[in-house]
Order: sequence, then C-alpha cells, then structure tokens
Amino acid sequence: MSAVIDQANKGGFRAWLNKRLPVDQFIEDQLTGYYAPKNFNIWYFFGSLALLVFVMQIVTGIFVTMHFKPGEATAWDSVQYMVREVPYMWLIQPMHAVGASFFFIVVYLHMARAMLYGSYKAPRELLWIIGMVIYLALMAEAFMGYVLPNGNMSYWGAQVIINLFGTIPGIGEALVEWIRGDYGIGDATLTRFFSLHVIAVPFLLALLIALHLVALRQTGSNNPDGIEIKERLGGDGKPVDGIPFHPYYTLKDIVGVGLFLTLFAIVVFFVPTFGGLFMEAPNFEPANPSSTPEHIAPVWYFTPYYAILRAVPDQKIGALLMALSIAAFLFLPWLDRAKNKSIRYRGWASKILLGTFFVTFLVLMWLGLKPADGIYVLLARIFTALYFAFFILLFFVSKADGNGPVPDRVTYHAH
Amino acid sequence: MPTKFTTVFGVFALLIGAGVVHASEGGHAGWEREAGNQVTNIASLQRGARNFMAYCSGCHSLRFIRYSRVAADLKITDELRDQYLVKPGAKFTDYIHSSMPPADAAEWFGKAPPDLSLVARSRSPDWIFNFLTTFYADPSNRQTGVNNLALPGTAMPHVLANLQGVNNATWTNEEHEGPGGNAVATKAFAKFEPGVSGSMTAEQYDIFVRDTVNFLDYVGDPTQVERQGLGIWVVLFLLMFTGIAYMLKTEYWKDVH
Amino acid sequence: MSDHAADDTVPEVDESRRKFLIAATAGTGAVGAILTAVPFVASWKPSESARAAGLPTEVDLSKLEPGQMATVFWRKKQVYVVRRTPEMLASLGGHDGELKDAPSEESEQPEYTKNPARALRPDVFVAIGTCTHLGCLPKTRFTPGDATLSADWPGGFFCPCHGSKFDLAGRVFQGSPASVNLVIPPYSFDGENRLIVGVDPAQQGAA
Repeated sequence: MSAVIDQANKGGFRAWLNKRLPVDQFIEDQLTGYYAPKNFNIWYFFGSLALLVFVMQIVTGIFVTMHFKPGEATAWDSVQYMVREVPYMWLIQPMHAVGASFFFIVVYLHMARAMLYGSYKAPRELLWIIGMVIYLALMAEAFMGYVLPNGNMSYWGAQVIINLFGTIPGIGEALVEWIRGDYGIGDATLTRFFSLHVIAVPFLLALLIALHLVALRQTGSNNPDGIEIKERLGGDGKPVDGIPFHPYYTLKDIVGVGLFLTLFAIVVFFVPTFGGLFMEAPNFEPANPSSTPEHIAPVWYFTPYYAILRAVPDQKIGALLMALSIAAFLFLPWLDRAKNKSIRYRGWASKILLGTFFVTFLVLMWLGLKPADGIYVLLARIFTALYFAFFILLFFVSKADGNGPVPDRVTYHAH
Repeated sequence: MPTKFTTVFGVFALLIGAGVVHASEGGHAGWEREAGNQVTNIASLQRGARNFMAYCSGCHSLRFIRYSRVAADLKITDELRDQYLVKPGAKFTDYIHSSMPPADAAEWFGKAPPDLSLVARSRSPDWIFNFLTTFYADPSNRQTGVNNLALPGTAMPHVLANLQGVNNATWTNEEHEGPGGNAVATKAFAKFEPGVSGSMTAEQYDIFVRDTVNFLDYVGDPTQVERQGLGIWVVLFLLMFTGIAYMLKTEYWKDVH
Repeated sequence: MSDHAADDTVPEVDESRRKFLIAATAGTGAVGAILTAVPFVASWKPSESARAAGLPTEVDLSKLEPGQMATVFWRKKQVYVVRRTPEMLASLGGHDGELKDAPSEESEQPEYTKNPARALRPDVFVAIGTCTHLGCLPKTRFTPGDATLSADWPGGFFCPCHGSKFDLAGRVFQGSPASVNLVIPPYSFDGENRLIVGVDPAQQGAA
C-alpha cells in the first residue's frame, strides 16, 4: 500500500493523474497485487485470446461497417465493392470473416478447459453461467453477421434457423413472422439484423465480458490441479502457490498472443476460406429464393447442434433436443457432484466419460457438415445419444469417482 | 509441459492441414480433371482476358471488375486494353458488362446467363475447366444440341464449338440396387470420342480453357497474389515477435519456483 | 513434485538483460502495431470508384456565350468556366494595387495559367468555384459598377458568406477574409470548343 503512495508522492504527471483516477490502485489490485495460480498450462491462454479476438472483431467490424450497405438491394454488391475497390478492405473484410471462426475455436478450447479442470464448480458457478450467456450471445452475433451479406447460404441458413422458432407450440408461427418482419426473409430482416449485429449485441457482449471478469476476480482463478490456492496463504498474506498476474501472466499471455496471431495470419493471408469451412462456397453467390444450395450447412461452429437437430426425424423434437443440447451446459455445476474439481484427481471412469464427450462433440461437428443421408444418419443418432449420455452419466460417475485425495500444493514444473 | 503444448499445437496444425487438404480435394468422377492454372502467370491471364472478352462477354458480365483494373493488374497497355478489352461505347473505367440485355437472355435461353465475377469462388477453377471441356453432342436437346458432364442439362450452347469441335460421349450400362431393392439400369460415362472437329487440337483447347479459367480465378479474387506476398512478411514478423516475447517471458519466469 | 524448500542459492536477477528484452519486445510490438494500423488508415483513401469518378470532365464550349458562365463538376468540386469578353479582359488591368496577390505568387494554379489573364486561352477562364476563405460558392458579379458592391467595381466574383471579393481572373481583393486567389485546376483544350478539366495540355493524348 505504501508503495503506491510513495509513487504518488514522487510527483509529476503520475501524481496528478492518481489524484484524479485510481490508476496505481487499479494496477496494484488487478495486476501486480492479484495472485493467480502458478501452474497454469496451455489451456489457460484462451481466456485472454478470446478477449483479443473480441477486440479484433470490433476494430475490423468498425471498418467493414463503413462500407457495408445493409438491405436486400445493396448488401451483396457493397461487399464486393468494398473488397475490390476500397484500399486494403481485401484484407480487413476477410480478417473479420476469419476472425469469427477463430473466436469460436478459442471459445470452445476455453470451455474445454473449464470442463477439464472443473472451473464451473463452486464457487465459480455464476462465472460459468455468465460465460454460457456470452456463448449464446456470440452464437446470435455470428449467425446475424453471416446473414448480413445476403449470399445464398446467408439466405437459406437464415431460412432454416428462423423457421426453427416455428416449432415452439402455439406462438411459433407468429414468432417467426415477428423475427423476420415480413412473410419471408427480406429487407426488413436484413436491416434489423444489421442494427443488432453492429450495436446491440456487441454492447451486450462487452457488458457480459466485463461481468465475467468481475466474477473471475471475485473468486480468483481455478487451476489444473483444481485446488483453491487461497486456502494456503504465506507469511505475506498471499497464496503460496500464487504469483502476481503482472509481470508473469501478462508476459506469458503476450507469447500466446504472438503465436495465435501467427496462426491467424497464416489463415487470413493464405487460406482465408479454409477449404470452404470459414467462408462457404455457396455464399459467393447472391441470395436466390428459387435455388437452394446443394447442402445447406451452417458454419462449422454450429454444426454439432445442427447434427443433433437432424438426427431426429421429427422437426419439433429435433428442435427441442437441439435447444436442450446447448442448455445442458448450464447445469454442469450441479450435475457434477465430485468433490475434486480437476480431471487429474478423478478416476478412469470420469476420464473416459469426458474424453468421449470431447470426441462426440467433434464427431457431431463433422457430421453436421455432411449431408443427412446414408450411414451419416445412423452415426448422428448414435453420437446424439452419446452426447446426452455424458450429462446423465456425469451425475452418477462424478459422485462415485472424484473423491480421492488431492495434493496440498499445486503441481509445478519450472519453465 | 512441452508434451501438452506440442499436443495442442499439433492438433491445431493438423486441423489446418486437414482444411488445406479438404480444400484441394477433387477428382471424384473419372472424367474430372484439374485446371492446373497459375494466377501468377501474367501471360496466361492476359490471354484469358482476351479470350473472355472475345467469347464470353457477349452473354456473361463481370460486373464487379473494371477494365482499368484488369489492365493495371495484368499489365496490359492502354492501346491493347482499348483494342481487346473495352467494348465499343464503354469507358475504360466502366465495369465489364455483357452485350446481351439480361431480360432478352432469359427469354432466349430460359435463364439469364449468370454474372461470372465470382464463379471461380462459388464453384472452383477446376469445375469451370471441366464445364468448358466436357460438352458433348446430344440430339435430344433440341435447342443447343449438346449436353455437359459437369452441368447436365445446361442451357448454355457450346459456344467454343468452333475451337474444340463437338465430342461424342460413349456410355456403359450399369446396374445397381435402387431404393425399392429392385435392379435399376443407369448409364455411366465411359469416354469421349472425337466427333465434329474444331480449329484447335485437344492440347491447344486445354491451354485456351486453362487461360480463361485462370483469368476467372483472378477476377474472383484479384488481390490473392498480393495477399500471399504480404502474408509471408507478416508471418515472419509475427514469428520474430513471438520469439522475442518468449525470451522475455522465460527470463522473468526464472523467478518462479 | 515441486521444489518448495527455501532456496538459498536464488540466482541473481540479470536486470540489464530484462531491460533489454523489455525494450526489444516493446519496440517490436510498437512497430507491429503501427504496421497493423497502416491498412486501416489507408482504407480511408479514395476508392477505385472515387478515382474513376474523378476522371477528367469534358465541357462543350460551343454553347457558351460571351459573358456567360457554366459550372461543371470535377473531382466532386464545382468548376467555373467563363467565356470572357474583350471588355472583361480589359478590366483585369488597372487595379493591381487593390489586389492581395496580383502576380499570383501565393495561389495554386498550373504553370501555363501563370499570366495576367490567369488562363491558357484568355477568352476562357477556368477556376475552382470555391472561396479560398472557408469554402463557400462565390457568386457572379460580372457587371462593372454593380449596385450591390461599389461604383468602381470592375466585375468579378463575390462570396456571400463572409464578403470576399475576386476579380474576373479570380484574384482576391484587399479587405477580403480570403487570402489567396481562386484555385485553377489543370485543364486543356481539344480543338476549339472542347475543354477538358483535369488534364494538362502536355498530358493530352494519354488517358
């Protein structure tokens, strides 16, 4: 504390500033004085990377919005005009499109970390739930962003997804028309999606992310061993297994940023469509209400849920299962009844269960990209069953399997 | 620590590799060939531009690119540009429009010939190459007299017939199980036989089509070469930055035990 | 497991190496940030269609009567084209003392218009119709002795916004808020009756 005051007394601009804004106090509280577990591994990069991608999407989005003209008559042409005729937009617009996919890569790895180390368990349940709300908002944001250019996949993808709301009993039909603002996907839909995508949801995302960080600060970070470092304090009142966030994790995160940007640059500059996964081929044609693309598939980050939707031959039940498959994540803090947080201190049953879930998620993702015929139908049904089985079995396996001894101190190897 | 790192990094690299492989997947049916075009080959692009304007622009527009842009990127002089590219009545800064009014085209062909600015991205250069090389005589089509392997039932006539000639297709009969369990007879394409000959040999025609496809590849993504060139520097810079940042991080982490 | 015992042999912290690495990282990062900003900033430059629209503007002079002015657009700016009569040309001499910059030293015009008439051809006056004070459109006051101005007004332009006055060669009068003469764009003639705004006479023929 006195170090802070000494700084202020050193005079000059720093002192002037600190009398008016709690700059040094903030640095002390949130950076140099905030202790995080010292055993973070590679899974712990993805939170800061998610924040980085959020900022990148905002900045590239600001510039794309300068040239994009929303609406049925102008959207498609404005994208072509911008990437061909406005200086450097041939780079900035693909950064935005590829950035959306990278956002989901990072977020899925971030969520996987939480599942590996039990970061959703008490006292971090609310942190997890806020994260899930961020995930939902992100899915809405990405969906609307994809519809905006009014390509053929934008149109038909919007058709399919909006029609899903029609499966809700009673209000379904009216709801679909209300969302569209017209009898079919058209100008009204595109312009309202533009407003939501550019202002409303990013604003909401920013607030949610801030809330997410406050919730994290409140409980402190979990770690790969799943033990609470605040339970073992040293003579200085700081956790013995903790290290100040600054400089250790600020510097480590910078390396993560460098590596991430390198991979991002490789994709943006050399394979921006990523084989049609990041920018789908049918979307290089303008929207055509008379011509459906050969395979309607959402972008890869939605396809696990799409596979679940199609697995069931009944539209209403399929839609319900799809909604449940996303909602199921919200219940993880209470489904998981183990004493130990981390997968490291659970038995083989838990390890197999979680490993199977990760593989199931990836297989469903692959299946959602495939046409819904032949062997794929059977596979989708099997893996949908496995997906839900995870959540049900977790309730029982976690109670039996994760109660052994945990170490007093974190596992750390110098690096 | 290193093993986990390499695992996740390796998985990510594998995924990128899978994406690249997925991107280059092709040749499903036996007759499908690869275009083999190179967008860095300026001479080929120039020939392709000339080919397009001479043979395609009568019906197909390239409405998102200007003559001036094509000339600048392909290093075509002003004189050659005005002689071979710019249509009569158009300014050299205009977008490339087709000569045929779309409404008339829709009436004559049943469907307006589509704009081709992005066909290389919505289909692929390989697809276009196959489309232009797999026309064959089909008397059952009373309007055009031809059909096409890449786009069966296409309304487009074989515009390049005087160059390629018109091939005949031979078929083999196949039987396989239909949806009801009964035997269904289908035809499978066997090979092309020369029919009416054109002014070019098959090799010459392939080069002609390859150049034109190359041009369309460029039109679909005019900055791809510039993008890749810049990309090398960006990736090198980022690797250097990551290396320096890593040294800084390691230095400070010596404190942590 | 990990080493928790108090370590007596903590290695010395190499402060100079740390300073160097911080500087190297920060320096490289700063360079990277600036280079990243380049495409974003450059995207504000005029687009290809702006440049295409900014092509030379052609004016048909055959309908322009002596004493009349035509306005055309070139690069989103108004251009005044005046067919000057011999009387208008004569009025250009005789008030050099009342001008801020009679020889047009400070103003912007092509070399071939740096003459008393400020024109390539004396009978056709071409200038950007933007007041050099704050950018309003100057109005025409071609009549000598115009009642709204003064008895010895030789004819020229009057800007309604803040009262700047220019003569029939666009030269600014003393007492005007504007400080330089009207800007003259590049232009040339193709034959007797075709004016091309935006192309110097030397460049004619090249597109």
